[in-house]
Amino acid sequence: MHILFLHDAFPAQFGRLGLELADRYGWKCSYLIRNFSRCPEPTPAMLERLDIHRYIVPQAPATAQPAWPQIYGQFVDQCRAVADALRSMPGLRPDLVVANGGRGAPTLLVPEVLDCPIVTYCEYYFATSHGDLTYRLDLPPAEPAPFFPRVINAPTLVSLASAKAGYSATRWQRDTFPERYRSKIEVHFDGVDDRLYSPGPRLSSIAGRSVPEGTKVVTYVARGLESVRGFDLFLAAADRIARARSDVLFVVAGDDRAYYGWDTFHAGGLPFKEWAMSKVGCDPSRFLFLDHVSPETLAEVLRRSDLHLYLSVPFVVSWSLFNALSTGLVVLGADIDPVREVIEHGVTGLIAPLFDVDRIAETALKVLDDPAEYAPLGRAARAMIEERYSLDVAVSPLKDFFERVAAR
Amino acid sequence: MSQPPLDLVCIEPRFPGRLGGVADWLVRRRGYRVRFFCNQADPAVQWPEATGRGIEVVAFNVGGVARETSVEWPKVLERSLCYAYGCWEVLEGRRPRPVDLILGRSNGLGSSLYAPVIFPRTPIVQFFDTYFDPDRREPGDEAERRPDTYRHWRLAANAVELVELENGVTPWTATDYQRSLFPTPYRDDFHVLHDGVETRGLPARHRDPLTIGGRTIPADAKVVTFVARSLDRLRGFDRFVGIVDRLVRAEPNVVAVAVGSRVADHPFDFAHYGRDYPLILLGENPPTSLERLWMPGVLPPDDVRRLLARSDLHVYASRPHPASRSLVEAMAAGCVVLAFETEAALEVIEPGVSGLLVPTDLDEASRIALGVLQDPAAHRPLGEAAAERVRERYSRDVTLPRLADLFDRLASGGR
Repeated sequence: MHILFLHDAFPAQFGRLGLELADRYGWKCSYLIRNFSRCPEPTPAMLERLDIHRYIVPQAPATAQPAWPQIYGQFVDQCRAVADALRSMPGLRPDLVVANGGRGAPTLLVPEVLDCPIVTYCEYYFATSHGDLTYRLDLPPAEPAPFFPRVINAPTLVSLASAKAGYSATRWQRDTFPERYRSKIEVHFDGVDDRLYSPGPRLSSIAGRSVPEGTKVVTYVARGLESVRGFDLFLAAADRIARARSDVLFVVAGDDRAYYGWDTFHAGGLPFKEWAMSKVGCDPSRFLFLDHVSPETLAEVLRRSDLHLYLSVPFVVSWSLFNALSTGLVVLGADIDPVREVIEHGVTGLIAPLFDVDRIAETALKVLDDPAEYAPLGRAARAMIEERYSLDVAVSPLKDFFERVAAR
Repeated sequence: MSQPPLDLVCIEPRFPGRLGGVADWLVRRRGYRVRFFCNQADPAVQWPEATGRGIEVVAFNVGGVARETSVEWPKVLERSLCYAYGCWEVLEGRRPRPVDLILGRSNGLGSSLYAPVIFPRTPIVQFFDTYFDPDRREPGDEAERRPDTYRHWRLAANAVELVELENGVTPWTATDYQRSLFPTPYRDDFHVLHDGVETRGLPARHRDPLTIGGRTIPADAKVVTFVARSLDRLRGFDRFVGIVDRLVRAEPNVVAVAVGSRVADHPFDFAHYGRDYPLILLGENPPTSLERLWMPGVLPPDDVRRLLARSDLHVYASRPHPASRSLVEAMAAGCVVLAFETEAALEVIEPGVSGLLVPTDLDEASRIALGVLQDPAAHRPLGEAAAERVRERYSRDVTLPRLADLFDRLASGGR
């Protein structure tokens, strides 16, 4: 079997999956991408064993993020660039195309070049109001809020209307799509690396800062420190925890930028991290900001953590949540449906109302006060990952799914 | 069911467009109040009777790429958003109250997309014209002539319809054929109901001399008519000219009248869009007698009705595309209609009963057309059956009460 993965970035969702398909089943995995990403970065094994091609979008605007009315045009330009790239590579003739549909799979013109089925990775369908980017009514209003959500799904709809099959990583993600499309979207998690993210020895220092064994570490991880992932809510809860306990260090991994929302509007033009720190008034000395870290570093940080906070709004569930659970950490997550799909409160983790930072802090303090009492939650989380979300469990059904679609 | 008057907001890029006639009927027959938001308006002679007397026309501006004559295919949605945003600005500024229901038609240009931002709980009924299925030979039937950019435009243009279909609207379309163009997952949602044509006060059929566009059709003329928004290739003006050319050679008294703008305004007629198509066509293929092919341009609706009442044969030569209102209006006038066979025409006409359907062979079509002109009495029942079919199925007095029922149900759900 020869799969061509289409994605803006590499490795993103598909790098590790392709490596597993190549190693386990001898499949040839090709990639057509625009950029190599740094979250995570490609591993040497990926670069060595996977067939990676890059394409450029000649019409791409100078700014990374176009104005919202132009997003669809950018998508169409991307579709055109993908088709042009495929035309220029007559030797690249896969049995199946798997395309990331995060902002619409750029497959509109692929059937003009390739005669094979196309699978869309249905990552997410944005809500028109009161969800994802429009969930944070507590923040200052953002100008695009009424308009953006009604058009951001246009690329997704265009690609989905013509797609033969799709898959989402979780049931909740699948259910964000209009009901009319759900019958052709299967749920297949793409696998967490439970060997890398596993319980193990605790570091005595993080990023050069000594962390004595008696220090309690509370972790927060997101690609970007932004409102959609509840960074400001984390700070508010952390501030309460810090005031109650002097032995807590908050370790934060993530870029100081917004990947999804309108934090520039919310923060009046300031970087959201700066705005949120100032708003909450927390003591910076209690925080260790790591910026972006490698998967290996992240695994070590999580192993040293005593509690992990996951305070996202309802949105695509972060890899970091699965990584933390896989590490056997006690995770305190926001009480939102996508988290409830993964964490059973009191069994595999803890859940508290997203905006109730007093409750979040109170729950966190209980965990920090009596780790032994809560340790079974971490062990159950690890077992759950092994049973439901590990690469060993996830890759085989995905392989079967791809084979089924390719055979149509 | 009683149908109480409602406060209606109509949104369509152009007035009166397609919704103007609906609004007019609702105002005059059901006592509605209508605020009609549009970007442009046709000349006043085309406005319906209730304009200014129940229909308030409110203009909105558009900016950005919507100001350009045409846009590259990647920008089709951006252009629509300019319309949607322009309409939103005026709605936001005026905040009309109360509003029981919003009736929108985007016609590929976006319109009511942002109305829910201001009226989040007001029901929206959205009229949908067409969807471009890349696997279906529609519109037009000559795929090999289409350049890549045209095919790509068709693929990309569906985004407008899709975001509107997912905007919490009740989708409405005029015919089963139009509904069948949309992706299967959406079809069951559609309310299929023709918006109807006016059947009250139609002029009686006659053979008197008739002055149209400054020229008089003599009493002994055999009148062959063609009516379209523009005399373009999509609606088969070239086919009409081909038939007329054959007819004038065989029949000395034929007068052919083609009503509509000379400027092809349908983007599907990609090769001639924005150009004087009759000039191009007749320049390339000079007709046998230009004297007998009249092109009076766009006529007031009453003049079109008088012309159709005098028509001996109406040619509906459209390539595959949703059926024109002119087809139904010609049938309402009792014309004998000769239509080229398409799915859309087949839905409206029962072949051999309420009209004649012909394949795309011009010689065959011309032969049948000649038969109609040479023996009108034998073909008159076709025209009478056509008029009866319209009275039963396509009259506004039949279709729009059903639409008013739908509006009432939706509006009362929010009360």
